[in-house]
Amino acid sequence: MDFKLTEKQKQFREEVRDFLKAEMARGIYLFGGVHLAGNLSKEFSKEIARKGWIGLAWPKEYGGQGLGYTDRIIMLEEMFRVGAPMAYHYMGDRQVGPGLIHFGSDFLKREFLPKILNADACFALLFSEPEAGSDLANCKTTAVEEGDHFIINGQKIWTSGGHYAEFGWVLVKTNFDPNVSRYKSFSEVIVEMKMPGVTIRPIINMVGAHSFNEVFFDNVKVGKEYLVGKKDNGFPQIMTNLDYERAGIDRLMQNYRVKEVLLEYVKTNKRNGQPLSKDPLIRDTVAKIVVEYEVARLFVYYVASLLDQGKIPSFEAAMGKTVCTLFEARLADVATTLMGLPGLIMPGSPEALFDGVVCESYLWSPSYTLQGGTVEVLKNIIAQRGLKIGGK
Amino acid sequence: MDFNFNEEQRILIDTARRFFEKETPKSLVRELIHDTKGYSPPVWQKMGELGWMGLAFDEEYDGYGGSFLEVAIIFEEMGRAAVPTPFFSTVVLGGFLLQDSGSVELKQKYLSKIAGGRCISTLALVGKAGIYSKGEVSLEAKPVGDYYRLDGSAFFVPYAHMADNIICAARTPSANGEGVTLFIVDGKAEGFEVIPLKTISGEGIDCVVNLKGVKATPEQIIGEPGKGWECIERLWPKIAVALSCECVGGMKKVMELTIAHVNERVQFGKPLSALQVVQHMCAEMFIKSETSRHAAYHAAWLISEGLPCEKEAAIAKAWCGEAFKDVTKIAHQLTGGIGFTEEFDLHLYTKNAKKLELLFGDGAFHRNMVADRVGL
Repeated sequence: MDFKLTEKQKQFREEVRDFLKAEMARGIYLFGGVHLAGNLSKEFSKEIARKGWIGLAWPKEYGGQGLGYTDRIIMLEEMFRVGAPMAYHYMGDRQVGPGLIHFGSDFLKREFLPKILNADACFALLFSEPEAGSDLANCKTTAVEEGDHFIINGQKIWTSGGHYAEFGWVLVKTNFDPNVSRYKSFSEVIVEMKMPGVTIRPIINMVGAHSFNEVFFDNVKVGKEYLVGKKDNGFPQIMTNLDYERAGIDRLMQNYRVKEVLLEYVKTNKRNGQPLSKDPLIRDTVAKIVVEYEVARLFVYYVASLLDQGKIPSFEAAMGKTVCTLFEARLADVATTLMGLPGLIMPGSPEALFDGVVCESYLWSPSYTLQGGTVEVLKNIIAQRGLKIGGK
Repeated sequence: MDFNFNEEQRILIDTARRFFEKETPKSLVRELIHDTKGYSPPVWQKMGELGWMGLAFDEEYDGYGGSFLEVAIIFEEMGRAAVPTPFFSTVVLGGFLLQDSGSVELKQKYLSKIAGGRCISTLALVGKAGIYSKGEVSLEAKPVGDYYRLDGSAFFVPYAHMADNIICAARTPSANGEGVTLFIVDGKAEGFEVIPLKTISGEGIDCVVNLKGVKATPEQIIGEPGKGWECIERLWPKIAVALSCECVGGMKKVMELTIAHVNERVQFGKPLSALQVVQHMCAEMFIKSETSRHAAYHAAWLISEGLPCEKEAAIAKAWCGEAFKDVTKIAHQLTGGIGFTEEFDLHLYTKNAKKLELLFGDGAFHRNMVADRVGL
């Protein structure tokens, strides 16, 4: 056992911190957001690319830094701590790149890995459909072979960043034999979002934000060279991709600022002449948040350590995401309640405390335990893969 | 970061697990609950022969010079076995207290015996309110000539009736205000009245100790006079983490026996484990036991490295204590009637879990420590 970060890792953390401090001082980019997808700056992503911090954990032969997942977590921790605008490169770095490295053809690697590394390509993930949420294998969008092309028809939904992404990573049905298991009927293809036949419609969420979209495919023609991995192998590929997604620190850290302001609020405010932080009930409530946060954080580092040992975490990643996401969902609830009426003031209003971030976060919170696999789906995975009970 | 045990530690885990499986079957555990001694002397002796009481103590005091992590492993395996032993009271409350705060003379006199498995030690710390704070220390020591006279009652003193020595935390008057002083006293000294309590976890484990004119000399003081509470605070992370590891072992075992049950038990024509609601409850247990494992061993590692660990130890106890209890609740819901019987092993853990949740501070107590550490 050794829970120490290496000297190199500690230095790296300092380097990221110094970089972010300097970037914030320049005042060009917007920091402090609590929702990743709304936090977009291609130019900032270019800065990250110049530092070599996109593809940090990718192998060197593909243009990455060949560093570990722990290093990546360290970097992300610092980025999320200040709400850095990472949306442009985030999906490419986290999921598309590793997916291509695992499953992609040489052509796709050549075509996209450099673009992702240089922040020249923003990706959206197009998995869910109106009839395929938790039951992803119920996707209806089809890709029919026609010569050296696929013709795609169908509809995707909940596409985060679909309105600004240049490329889509799309799950499509490619095997129509009713005797073949539906888990062996899908493929993954990369589609240009500006292609003829692609229509993107915004969905305004309950926060009032445009973060996701509906995407329609009407006879969209995609070259077969854009097929990722093997035909009909898309479902297992996507499960592996999701393990990477869930192995992240995103769900723990996107609302880091809410935790910070909660602590600041109870330290600096009084009620009936007594500091809030001296009220036993408030102390316990806030300490519960701190304990939960630290336990979840340690678990994220554990999952990263598995990846660094060359293991693909499956139920461990699901477990990590469950713990993080439940924490995140509780955080804004606790913060709004402890602040009382001032916790109900939205961003942009007079008298908003901490830019209204706490209230805004509360409105985002129902989505946390849904995206990337609901807590219930994650528990299925934990039981089936981790405990070997139930299952199909 | 490396979350794995090394080869030697894995061997220790394996040895300890096989030892407890062989030497402490549940039939023995059930007997010990009603036993007046509260532990099995032959098992205790064999644990001593394996060198476990001396794992983390210096070689000059007959220890093996290992780390706290090895001790943590023994606690996890004891928690798994649900077997009552005087290991916690002797090694942690006695041994580590002496190692961290005792003079060379006291270590030579007592620590060697502890490390060698040749004595049982305990600590009389709190009064009948059962609150772990300096202000609640209820024994009093008054200087009388060249010795101290100790009076009062202490509560939940583990194995006091079997102890060779009892460390008494007593309030002492001092020039700069009242303080707490720790005296190590022979368990058979005159003036001790020890009454075993029938508690949730057994009839011969925790005791009330009444002191009437027990004599102690200044040479019997651990640490400085009036500074005893500081010694207790220094010991606290080890207490919290040892108990956390015991919780971890307990909850893993509870999860295993519950999963075995839901796989076997058929209702509606299929095993309970085929029901998603049951799967989710099992996943919940798994999440609790895995997060607890990391929280406990992270803190244990910090202790073994001599790094600051107060916050992490408090987090571990706050988390693991409640998690173990929660896991037993889920287990009861899933095992139904059979889980409520004397015959099924679950209740042994249910009782330990409730005790471990409260012993040496509950979740709220440790969260209060965490609040201190984050500047609240």
